[in-house]
Amino acid sequence: MSFLDKLKGGAKKEEEAPRAAGMSGGERELTIEPITRIEGHLGVHAKIDTGARKIKDAYAYSPMFRGFEVILVGREPSEAVMISQRCCGVCPVPHATSSVTACDQAYGVTPPPMGTALRDLVLGAEHLYDAEVGVVNLEGPDYSEVAMKKFNPAWWGEAQKTKAEHSAVHGFATVADIMTALNPLAGELYLRSLLVQKDGHNMAAIFGAKHPHVHSFVPGGIAKLDLSMTDLESYLTLLMHHVAFTKELVTASDDLLNFVLEQGYEDVGARDLNLGSVGSYNDPTAYSAVYEEMTDWGRKRLISPGIILNGDLVTTDLVEYNVGVREYIGSGWYEEQWAKEFETDPAGNALEYEHPWNKRTLPQPGKYGDWASKYSWVTAPRWKNWKGDGKDYSLEVGPLARMWVTAKAKLVPESTGNSLKFELPAALIPGFKYADSMAFEWKIPAKPNAVERVRARAYFHAYSAYCMLQLSMKGLELMKAGKTKVWTPYEKPQEGIGFGMSEGMRGACTHWCVMKNGVIDNYQYQAPTTWNASSRDPAGNSGAYEEALIQSPITEAGDPAGWKGIDIVRTIRSFDPCLGCAVQVHIGNKFVKHDLVPYAVPL
Amino acid sequence: MSEELNLIWLEGQDCAGCTISAKQASNPTLIDVLTGAIPGLDNLKLVFHPTLMFDWGDDATQILVDAMGGKYDPFVLILEGAIPDEAKADPGVFCVIGEHEGKLLMLSDVVKSLADRCAAAVAVGTCASFGGIPHGAPNPTGARGLLDYLGKDWTGALGLPVICVPGCPPRPDNIVQMLGHAVLAARGLAPLPELDEWHRPVEMYGHLMHELCSICGFYAGGVDAHNFGDTGCLGALGCKGIITHCNANTWADGYGGCTTIGVPCFGCTHPDFPDPPTSPFFAKAPAMPFIIENIKGMLAHSEMGYQRLKPVIEQMMPMLPEFIEELEKLMEAEKDKGRKI
Repeated sequence: MSFLDKLKGGAKKEEEAPRAAGMSGGERELTIEPITRIEGHLGVHAKIDTGARKIKDAYAYSPMFRGFEVILVGREPSEAVMISQRCCGVCPVPHATSSVTACDQAYGVTPPPMGTALRDLVLGAEHLYDAEVGVVNLEGPDYSEVAMKKFNPAWWGEAQKTKAEHSAVHGFATVADIMTALNPLAGELYLRSLLVQKDGHNMAAIFGAKHPHVHSFVPGGIAKLDLSMTDLESYLTLLMHHVAFTKELVTASDDLLNFVLEQGYEDVGARDLNLGSVGSYNDPTAYSAVYEEMTDWGRKRLISPGIILNGDLVTTDLVEYNVGVREYIGSGWYEEQWAKEFETDPAGNALEYEHPWNKRTLPQPGKYGDWASKYSWVTAPRWKNWKGDGKDYSLEVGPLARMWVTAKAKLVPESTGNSLKFELPAALIPGFKYADSMAFEWKIPAKPNAVERVRARAYFHAYSAYCMLQLSMKGLELMKAGKTKVWTPYEKPQEGIGFGMSEGMRGACTHWCVMKNGVIDNYQYQAPTTWNASSRDPAGNSGAYEEALIQSPITEAGDPAGWKGIDIVRTIRSFDPCLGCAVQVHIGNKFVKHDLVPYAVPL
Repeated sequence: MSEELNLIWLEGQDCAGCTISAKQASNPTLIDVLTGAIPGLDNLKLVFHPTLMFDWGDDATQILVDAMGGKYDPFVLILEGAIPDEAKADPGVFCVIGEHEGKLLMLSDVVKSLADRCAAAVAVGTCASFGGIPHGAPNPTGARGLLDYLGKDWTGALGLPVICVPGCPPRPDNIVQMLGHAVLAARGLAPLPELDEWHRPVEMYGHLMHELCSICGFYAGGVDAHNFGDTGCLGALGCKGIITHCNANTWADGYGGCTTIGVPCFGCTHPDFPDPPTSPFFAKAPAMPFIIENIKGMLAHSEMGYQRLKPVIEQMMPMLPEFIEELEKLMEAEKDKGRKI
């Protein structure tokens, strides 16, 4: 008897008591699976108080698993650069960047400045495509005319009367016109975004060979043959398309999202102010890959590393970040028996038993619905404030977190302490609506919520374009100085450990590698979505998705029995989930369903 | 206007990379196809695609249930990602693609059901074609590609077998052009695509990367690169172009291309990717293909040289006795030189 037959036969009882009816008293249970327009397979199970129009409880889970970590063990660490990025075809480059950084460190090799600069030009190119696709093509349809008429008809009437403040830039007279432009496969912004995003991939291909899944990242630098001015000129040409487009994207997003906030959306998807960023875009001459020098080269990144707890910036030190990371498996289906291999990090700081350099992944499948102990494949990453109160914190990562940290940290000239100020140059390019230069200021918002996550993503598109302009100029400087070497040859050691970190579109992406006998002995990674989709930790605290959903208000119109959960999907999509990333890390993933049987498909 | 044809795109054990790649295609673009701008490729409806569709939850799974009931016939089934062996997942599951009326829609079941009705089936990417990354040793989930899952003898309603478009991800144009070709063939407007033994379209995968490589002149000229960034053939750095059928000498719009920018081919379109002979990625490819190619090359070069020199040789033949005589005189002169005391 196959597993499926067993499940079909064994679950008869539950079938007779369907929970699909969903309504009882003032409470509605709503299961949304699949949540579409995200990367990967994700479902949400929510309990809604229909009287108070609030979400009482929520579980996010994903039912797909491939087992990357098992595939990595025993291979060359440099192969992890190629394989680990393949967990996700939407955001592979941060994985490649973090993985190759961990390899640089484990092999003890520093890439030449040009090698470092070219890697970051590829990473920035991916951010540019990814940010606009997220805002316009994945999240945009939730605020489109189609969605408004279906779920928030009162807003649609209001939007038709509301003039768009920046119509001189983006050309849309009213907020309703912006919503129409976001209609899937028909709206002007939706379609143009699909064309402009191609430039991001092409920029990445210039130095990455292809995208998704770039092939040029190697320990010690980058594999780029005959680097010349023609490559940088091609890159800059495509970059200016993004510079032109971001002026429309940011102003249209501001007008749309300000309107949504005015409709009472402040608390939808809101959560506590605990944010994390590992920073990105190295200073090519400062990056050494050396662990003990990480504090310095980390702080020189164009996007700052740092951790905000309860609203306060507690650190901008990457060593402090690394030492504080823990990954609990308390609520996950894993064994906890392994030897603590590393007492300290290379700088001599004590490491915990649950630190990724110590942690092993030992899966031990269990039964569903055992809520009291183990119910999930997803572990719970937490950051221990080891120099402060010693408590564990559940961090939110993503564009909102890194913009917040960078604005607060004052490590870059654009940071004012409460905003990020920068300017993009003029660019008259046919097909784009606004040719003048434009000054941008992203201000730290009142709280993290669904709307502000989307807004931060749009502003990050502009900031990323700004950083890539700076980095391209740095590339020209290096060319002029004759520093065109892209790779440092090395003697590969037999043993080594490495920690690699960069910001993916969705947030902090960190890899830990332990090499023994020249091959991978242990490889652990925490993707951005590992943090955001984290399950409950041993203390019972939720991850960011669940926190953002619980107590979130419902604005959806119509009879509660017919609710489709637009506010839930807007909240979840504001994080821009990437389950492919989160899932591979745990050889599987969170599965919380208790009474599910396979649907009998017609054969 | 052509008759309506539906497209149903499922994502299994995937990373959405093939979808992201398809979005970059240029000739035609995905938008051209979905908005019906290309004659013969008009009136296509993408009724299900997890990453692009508007609907979610029950509204989305309803489409799949209806499709399995025949509502969207005729349709082309497109699979991205591998299919796991759910028997290995006991007591868990490896790949669920939705929940309907409180029950799980298992990828493996839905693929089987839709395959029974579809006009044609296209596997996009190495995972969907041959298993790809999830299939990598030790293949923890028992992942398989569509070709293996449905079998080499399977045919859709139109009589076409599974069409495989491998690559991790495939070149953007390969995906959209192959879908376009399948649709045109389905509508009787184009010849059926010619497939090789691995069901890859010959028009895209008929040649080795090595044969199409834009820097293969360095190989012919005997110039090897031993450092990344150096000018030369990438064979010594681990290039697998000699065993990999692929046409990615540029990626999209003429940008990139693996060996073109100096990256060794890692064999990502190969049926065995990411296992040997494509890995270790930075180890040299198996020697035998090079040896065979070199012997072939030597013979061919001799033949080419002979053909080019033939007229000269023929012209020289009558003069040969005289020439030999001259040579002998020269030899004699040399001998005299040697006798000097």
